[in-house]
Amino acid sequence: MTEFVLALVLGLLFALGTFLVLRRDVVRVVWGVSIISQAANVYLVTMGLLDGAVPVLDGHGEGAGAVTDPLVQALVLTAIVIGFGTTAFALVLTYRVYEEHGTIDLLELGGETDGN
Amino acid sequence: MATEQLVVAPLLVALVTAILTLVVHQYTRVQQVVSGLGGIAYLGAVAMLVQRVRSGAGSHGVEGVLTYQLSDWGAPFGIALVADDLSAFMLALTAVVSLVALAFSMRYIDEAGQRVSYHPLYHFMLVGVTGSFLTGDIFNLFVWFEVMLMSSYVLVVFYSGPRHTKAALQYVVLNLVGSALMLLAIGGLYSTTGTLNMADMARRLADPASFGITLAPVLGLSAVLFVVFALKAGIVPFQWWVPAAYRAAPAPVSAMLAGVVKKVGIYAIIRLYFTVFANAAPMDLSLPGLAGESTLAFFGPVLFIMGAASIVLGGVAAVNRDDIDNLLAYSSIGQVGFIVIGLAFAAGGVVAGWQAPDPYGSVAVLGLAAALVYSLNHALAKAALFLASGAVYESVGTIEFDELGGLAGRMPLLSTGFFVAALSLVGVPPLLGFFGKFLVFDAAVNAGSNLGIGVALLGAILTIAYVTRAWNRGFWGERTEAVEQATPQYGLFATVLVLAVVALAVGVAFDPVVDAAIDAAEAALGTDSYIEAVGLEDSLTGGDGGGH
Repeated sequence: MTEFVLALVLGLLFALGTFLVLRRDVVRVVWGVSIISQAANVYLVTMGLLDGAVPVLDGHGEGAGAVTDPLVQALVLTAIVIGFGTTAFALVLTYRVYEEHGTIDLLELGGETDGN
Repeated sequence: MATEQLVVAPLLVALVTAILTLVVHQYTRVQQVVSGLGGIAYLGAVAMLVQRVRSGAGSHGVEGVLTYQLSDWGAPFGIALVADDLSAFMLALTAVVSLVALAFSMRYIDEAGQRVSYHPLYHFMLVGVTGSFLTGDIFNLFVWFEVMLMSSYVLVVFYSGPRHTKAALQYVVLNLVGSALMLLAIGGLYSTTGTLNMADMARRLADPASFGITLAPVLGLSAVLFVVFALKAGIVPFQWWVPAAYRAAPAPVSAMLAGVVKKVGIYAIIRLYFTVFANAAPMDLSLPGLAGESTLAFFGPVLFIMGAASIVLGGVAAVNRDDIDNLLAYSSIGQVGFIVIGLAFAAGGVVAGWQAPDPYGSVAVLGLAAALVYSLNHALAKAALFLASGAVYESVGTIEFDELGGLAGRMPLLSTGFFVAALSLVGVPPLLGFFGKFLVFDAAVNAGSNLGIGVALLGAILTIAYVTRAWNRGFWGERTEAVEQATPQYGLFATVLVLAVVALAVGVAFDPVVDAAIDAAEAALGTDSYIEAVGLEDSLTGGDGGGH
């Protein structure tokens, strides 16, 4: 059941993220990317929670009960910190794009960088 | 023990330099000195490490592979840093190019620009690159990628004009999506193989039954991961960000992006697909059009198609560009194609049954060595050309072919540097580029791939075409007004010449280079010694394998 719910949530998050990345508004694109990376984080946790190894307790934790994999949580923590930094940068960059071009509409910005 | 600690030296030197330059950023002169010394110290640290690896020092009784376990947590629990011939080769390339590009930036980036954290960013980028070359853990590889990318984002948008912000936005969004994809692949690989350590993963994949691993998902996940590396290396069809980003970045940064950062993608492909996944036990691949049982049987054709497409697309697009930077950026795509088809031949050789260690004898070693020599050539020549383009811009004020002409007579020094680097790109003996091309052709012949020979020939012709065009339009012909009024920047010209001379020197004294490349190729294929050197045999045997 948990697996089903998690799979559903993951699918929804990725779908939402992709939808936003395909918008014209740069801020939405940044939101979309940030949602996709959060979805990746949830996915990482899922990888350990459902059926993972317990590397650190391997051979040390005799007698310990059922544990979820601590490693994926460490990975997610790292990924969250990195995601924070990159999202902040992307938002600042968006503001800078607005300052330079007076718009954050991707169609007005144009796809090619040869203009201007 | 001291030998093993040498593995972290380049990483620490770059990190300390980055932090020191940040601390003294108010004093521009001091910062420049610190940054320059840091660059030299980095070259020194890499030289020592390379020398130690080449002289056969090693961990756990394996010659030529040095391992450093961070915080003394034995693999696979801790993060292992591994320096073998392959890492050493890439680090040496990085150290040379980065030092010259740094020297170039001292004069090229204006004082205000240098005060805006140019130096710390540059060194943090170096930290990321170095970490990627040394790490023995795939999640850690992701982290180093991010360190490298974060600095490169800022460096691409450094001038923050309209063109730069737009290019950077494209570059950032693309790489953020790439990072999410990489996380997905890594998480999946962890879940299926139960480990993140590359050596441990290779060991488990070799014996999937006893670790409870099913190989089919591993193949799929490795393909997802491949997309990310191809994106970093700018291989077709993931090349579209390349021209905009390279043109937006300051010239020394473009030199680094093309010369070094692209090679991180290539390195990751070699390391993971040849050292780790190639080791996977045979399995039935029932994919249409693919007969073979190794993982590389799948990646061989993929690499070939992508490499060939890069050569053709990059070459054709480069011929018709109207400024130097643009031409160089497209040429970069084409040149990386040559590296990738070298890898494709190597993958084919592995499938055919690779046998150690007969230099030149095996297609796999030959293909990898070709790819590595070509990487070195591209790093030196393309970095020199990007720096030359920067020097032209600084002297003349434009890099549009329409406004250039007769540079050869006006600035003979710069033109010599450009000419030598361009010839190396074309592949004229005795320059390094000749040997790079020669090895690619040799690998193609040995792999029995007529199509491969044809594509490489076409690529070589296209290279000649666009290099000649750049030379004719920019350096020969009548002097334009802009060129006549130019103020030559001899300090900048000198750095271009240095790289050209290095390309010439390693071409003339090619023996040590080809030896290093072949050793690196063998190190990439020598999975067993890689596993042994990381020390997995004595730290973890048996156990439940963490499987399912």
